[in-house]
Amino acid sequence: MTLLKTVPYRSIYLVMIVVLLILILLSAGTGAVDLSFVEIIDLVKHRLGFKVSGSINAIHEGLFFGIRLPRTFLCVLVGASLSVSGALMQSLFRNPIVEPGLIGTSAGSALGAAMIIVFGNSLMLHSVSILGELLMPAAAFAGGLVATLLVYYFSASLNKVNISIMILAGIAINAIANGATGFMAYVARDPQARSITFWNLGTLSGANWQAVIIVSFSTVIGFVLALRFAKPLNALQLGDDEAAYLGVNTERMKISIILVNTLLVSVATSMVGIIAFIGLIIPHLLRLLRGSDNRYLIIGSALLGAIIMILTDMICRVIIAPAEMPIGIITAFVGAPVFLWLLFRFKNNREGGFYA
Amino acid sequence: MKKSIVLIGGILLLISCGRFSNKSKKGGKERIVCVSKQLTELMFALQQGGKIVGVDLSSTYPPEATKLTTVGYHRMLSAEGIISLDPTVVIHQGDIAPPYVMEQVGNVGIPIKVYPAASSIDSTKILITLLGKEFGQDTAATRLNATLDADLAKTDSIVKNYTTKPKVLIIHYGRAGNQYFVMGTKGTANEMIKRAGGINAADTSSFRNLSPEAIMRAQPDVILATDFGFDRVGGVEKFLELPGIGLTPAAKNKKIYRVEEHDLVYFGPRSGKNILLMAQLIHK
Repeated sequence: MTLLKTVPYRSIYLVMIVVLLILILLSAGTGAVDLSFVEIIDLVKHRLGFKVSGSINAIHEGLFFGIRLPRTFLCVLVGASLSVSGALMQSLFRNPIVEPGLIGTSAGSALGAAMIIVFGNSLMLHSVSILGELLMPAAAFAGGLVATLLVYYFSASLNKVNISIMILAGIAINAIANGATGFMAYVARDPQARSITFWNLGTLSGANWQAVIIVSFSTVIGFVLALRFAKPLNALQLGDDEAAYLGVNTERMKISIILVNTLLVSVATSMVGIIAFIGLIIPHLLRLLRGSDNRYLIIGSALLGAIIMILTDMICRVIIAPAEMPIGIITAFVGAPVFLWLLFRFKNNREGGFYA
Repeated sequence: MKKSIVLIGGILLLISCGRFSNKSKKGGKERIVCVSKQLTELMFALQQGGKIVGVDLSSTYPPEATKLTTVGYHRMLSAEGIISLDPTVVIHQGDIAPPYVMEQVGNVGIPIKVYPAASSIDSTKILITLLGKEFGQDTAATRLNATLDADLAKTDSIVKNYTTKPKVLIIHYGRAGNQYFVMGTKGTANEMIKRAGGINAADTSSFRNLSPEAIMRAQPDVILATDFGFDRVGGVEKFLELPGIGLTPAAKNKKIYRVEEHDLVYFGPRSGKNILLMAQLIHK
């Protein structure tokens, strides 16, 4: 089913970029308040200081620049982050069913952020304003890193990652982290507890420019670093020893990739909550489309992840308008069946580890 | 960021095709979005219901309020949903989430008015007066307060004659399997039980999920089950079969009654009459 085997990578990227740009435009116009393209042009012209023929609706202007646009950009960044992270993890563990949620990264990040939600005010760290803004992403990063390292530590033995132990360790670490987050929710004062529970399903409705800036740093840095690991990761697909013979410092690379992955997932998670299945599905779809070259997987994941994320968020915004659905519900409903379908294919077609 | 906006603008120019229709603006009239159940009832009582264009999910009284557009659960609001109703003002009492929603709404230029949460009879009367002043309904507000006072005085005179003080438990059932969401000794419902001549059997101060064992230990003489859980279980007989309930004096004497949730969770103009009804119910 590798549909586009002979199509050059560049053309695939180009198509995805065009689709992504169109979706960004659509997303900017869609929601509980409909903005027409003409109106958006007027709003942009007005903001850039040009003369506008018609009158400007100040509320729509505030909505577009203060809510809609940052949300759309946050979608792009989070979708790219989670998918690239999924691609990295699947290649690192040489297993196609790994995703950030499975090996504890998301749950660990959630716990880190929950601790800041509950104890943040008593830590007195908010007095330093810059640190205050970065406190939650930093705690999420720490939580995600500890969880991922624990799972990795348990599953890596004798220079080999034991996949079944990894999955089981992931389940255990997830249970611990979720239990601790639940405990936080239980001891928290009421409003805090609610922000923890809703945050567990993920939502992009809190997007603002500050979140966009923070996540754009982690996404761009993570993406560039991930690209540098594309070739060594390709070598790693042959096996740890074989990669070492090819001149890859496997241990150092593994640790670096885990760090990059944690950066990507935890910063995104600290801003929008846990969004499941995006990181799992996107790299799979890309493999089905063209193949398993990690360079293609990483670039493609960034683009396709952003595309799917924007689409899903648009559904969240309109499906029960004027109210809004948490995005985690939609991704689970769409993602889980696709995952089962992939497992089914995997079961019936086990000529290779990956279906490349 | 500026660059990307220019880029988007350019592409927009290329492919603009007027796919989305422009919303027409209704000029002049007040359009209020009210995300607080107490305010919703008070506004309707002050003849201001016609100005309300949107409410939260928990605003269920009066019945007209349920016909309005809802903007979601008041703890899970979305800024766009509120903005899409094109309100001239958003009113609430601080009990909202996520906290950034009102910030977002305010940032687009929609005024927001926060009223104090009135959790006692006195503060409710102050709130009614305040609303009456702001919406030019001073006389209506005075009349509402007078009626409330009169109803309460009448209730007091009747309650005085009761010789017993039954232990009452108010339960929201059905949120999670066999968990009883109980109204604790702080808050509106507790105050109503007290005024109705009962004692709150709950040994917890806040709203809390209690296990069947805790319900049994509380040994209530009367159980008031709110509409949602009662209707879901399907009547008194079914309610008796729930774990823990059957071992209470309330179950033995079949003193389990259905109450409307919105009669108990905040004070309003009807509270005097509601407390009287509750007093008659628990002393039956």
